[in-house]
Amino acid sequence: MRQYALRRLAYLPIIMVAVSLVTFFTLRLPWATDPVLQYVNQNTTLEQEQEIRRELGLDKPMLQQFAIWMGQVARGDMGETFRSNQPVWEEIKRRLPVNLEILVLSVFFSTFFGVAFGVITAVKQNSPVDYGFRVFAVFGQSIPDFFLLILLIVLPSIWWNYSPPVGGHVSFFDDPWENLRLYVPPTLLLGVGGAAAMMRLTRSTLLEVFRQDYMRTARAKGLAGRAVVLDHGLRNSLIPIITLIGGQVTALFFGSLILEQIFSINGLGQFFLVSSITADFPVIQFLVLYTALIVMLMNLAVDLSYALIDPRVKYT
Amino acid sequence: MAARTAAQAYSWGAVPRRPGPGRRLLRTASQHPAGVFGLLVLVLFVFAGVFGPSLAPYDPDALAVGTPLAGPSWSHPFGLNQNGQDIFSRIIAGARISLTISAAAIFIGATIGSFLGILAGYYGRWIDYLVQRSGEAFAAFPSLVLYFMLRAALGPGMKAIIAAIAIGALFGGNRVLRGQTIIERNQVYVEAARAMGCSEWRIFFRHVMPNVLPLVIVLMSGALGAAILAESALAFLGLGVEEASWGRDMSGSNLSIARTGYWHVVVFPGLAISLVVLGANLLGDSLRDIWDPRLRR
Repeated sequence: MRQYALRRLAYLPIIMVAVSLVTFFTLRLPWATDPVLQYVNQNTTLEQEQEIRRELGLDKPMLQQFAIWMGQVARGDMGETFRSNQPVWEEIKRRLPVNLEILVLSVFFSTFFGVAFGVITAVKQNSPVDYGFRVFAVFGQSIPDFFLLILLIVLPSIWWNYSPPVGGHVSFFDDPWENLRLYVPPTLLLGVGGAAAMMRLTRSTLLEVFRQDYMRTARAKGLAGRAVVLDHGLRNSLIPIITLIGGQVTALFFGSLILEQIFSINGLGQFFLVSSITADFPVIQFLVLYTALIVMLMNLAVDLSYALIDPRVKYT
Repeated sequence: MAARTAAQAYSWGAVPRRPGPGRRLLRTASQHPAGVFGLLVLVLFVFAGVFGPSLAPYDPDALAVGTPLAGPSWSHPFGLNQNGQDIFSRIIAGARISLTISAAAIFIGATIGSFLGILAGYYGRWIDYLVQRSGEAFAAFPSLVLYFMLRAALGPGMKAIIAAIAIGALFGGNRVLRGQTIIERNQVYVEAARAMGCSEWRIFFRHVMPNVLPLVIVLMSGALGAAILAESALAFLGLGVEEASWGRDMSGSNLSIARTGYWHVVVFPGLAISLVVLGANLLGDSLRDIWDPRLRR
């Protein structure tokens, strides 16, 4: 297993280089948005435009630009943003906690409620409880997450003339209570779609596991119902569940941006959105590398966890 | 009277005929009311999308057709937004954009994805390896990053949106199809066809392909809801197309005006999205139950 993990880790830099190559040259395709155009108006002379282009380092041949950028990244320097000439890493570090919190809370809620509802509906198959939760799941997968978040703002303002706090960020370490009051309601709603998908997956996997012979054996030898369902049943359905968690983290990059947009939080997604529209190359390049790294490390963790869950899994 | 034998009791008349296709369809439909509901909803929205302009009571872009921000009333069932545009007409107009983009994306994505998946499953070897690995590579990219790459490459507009959603659908379905094809490939009828001297391409197109095609329809209908959600989310973020669309009508100034109590401005477009996605999901679930009980998830 160690060998497998090491080999996967050895692939990482290769994939990262490939990702950066693709990103770098896609952004600089001749017909793609030209960042210089963001800083010129009708009074800008051609010389001034050339000057801006030179300042941004976009006048050099593309391969040279790429070599310079790779050299910077290798030294841990992420460059400066085009827009404000601030170091990219500083700008990102400031916004990172917001995103991590949104990500962690939503994944926690969707996993917790999804698995819990999945176990309940599988145990009580075809009962009113089962039907109730399944209706919830169908609706949960159909209502757009941004609509739920909008309702969170709009409905209380009609009913109780109360608006949930919008904008501003309070660090968890400064004021945990205020921070959770700010983040729990929206992340709970952001997790609804994920919880619905998780519930359906857990339910169907568990029902499949319940049919296995070892489940009958476990019951026959007199194990308590809870032990049968949780230790024997749930443990054997964990692999698809963990795989889905991995996929949900990737999807939540999108959800986080939507949450930031609606609640006017200045987070990473917002930063990425603005930078993409204004073609702020250093920011886009860094964020693509960053998300690719996170997603790949997470996929590795998911793959490695299979062996912990199921001793029969062997890596080659 | 002599005892009746079993043979005498048996009615020797014609065996009741197998119900015709229409009757069978009706029976299936009555077993899946949710799916029928989904189909009706989808048909309704497609109808609105096709005949939208002539159905809408007002021009969706016309300003001040009534008092701005007026709530729902008989002449404006969903009310008006701050520009005095009729929200009901805008929702009808939005159906066209939403359904065009998602249907095109699903069609392109699912067609290519199914072909690749079936080919990978049937042929195996390097094609399988290539398709599998590239699927994993794309799955690793957050969809938003992928969209921005495409937006940079194809320019903002419908093409990039369709491409981004299509790529998602492409790799979403092909894994399932690959698995099913591997099962079909090892069936006896394939061996029989091969023994009769069929070429590999003939076996692929005439024998294996028809047996996995129902799955493609199941996958397509399942992916439609997700595609509509993705399109509306992009529009909501202001990354969509210029025309009236549900997602765009819920963002920006409409959203800020809704915060001040004019809920109808954003709630009705949101309900429209939810309803059409609900329809697509219900139809997809029912089709899956009907055609492929193994996939039940």
